[in-house]
Amino acid sequence: MAESTNSLVEKRVVITRIFDAPRELMFKVWTDPKHMAEWWGPNGFTNPACELDLRIGGAIRIDMKGPDGTVYPMTGVFREIIEPERLVFTAWCVADEDGKFCVEILNTIVFAEHNGKTKLTVQAVVVKSTPEGAGALAGMEPGWTQTLERLDDYLSNL
Amino acid sequence: MSPDVLSSKFAALADPTRRAILARLALGETSVTELAEPFDMSLPAVSKHLKVLERAGLIARSREAQWRPCRIEPDALKDVDHWLEEYRRLWEERLDRLDHYLRQLQMKEKKRGRKHK
Repeated sequence: MAESTNSLVEKRVVITRIFDAPRELMFKVWTDPKHMAEWWGPNGFTNPACELDLRIGGAIRIDMKGPDGTVYPMTGVFREIIEPERLVFTAWCVADEDGKFCVEILNTIVFAEHNGKTKLTVQAVVVKSTPEGAGALAGMEPGWTQTLERLDDYLSNL
Repeated sequence: MSPDVLSSKFAALADPTRRAILARLALGETSVTELAEPFDMSLPAVSKHLKVLERAGLIARSREAQWRPCRIEPDALKDVDHWLEEYRRLWEERLDRLDHYLRQLQMKEKKRGRKHK
């Protein structure tokens, strides 16, 4: 079986970028929750909760809050920690607006020294997905997102 | 595309054997026996994988011919690729923010360094 063809159907996202920052600092902003909370998530998002238990098997919990107040919880587990070179973690996140579709993604972050700068490679592979939502997988109450949406509606109507 | 369909596609793609089957079918229509050949696997086991792929809408099996050849659905991976493209955009945005944050951080450190001198 041709490996090259196989890779066509293997679904992954790979991004490489060079950052004007030393590798040690880069590794720190990926592993210190105080730093992580400042940049994680899409534009306009804040992270009201950010907990990183930095050891193999340690938990990651981040609540990303969108501009409209909706909270998107993300949980994960550290799989590999090689300071300051490599970070592997599994992440579970809700992938659609209704909170119905949840994916398990294996993220591999490689930090490479590049003339005083850092070459960062992010590789994300979808390893599993479930239609039931983040609830069951991440050990949270099912329908949590919907509950928050309802609360949001309720508050705006007060 | 409903989340259930997308979800079952990702689930189907998560298995290396199924990815290999799909890759083979990308080259053209094939019988189950032919598909099973490169794998150390019984025909029923291969059939099971095919059922998962078929349910996910990734492949179709002809009802006409006796040997029921399998073929890949032409738009099979379109929505999966679309989702991944969105996901990539999310990561790009996240890295933009990281870049911005690192600049701020280093600027602050430089200023502080000057003060101490």
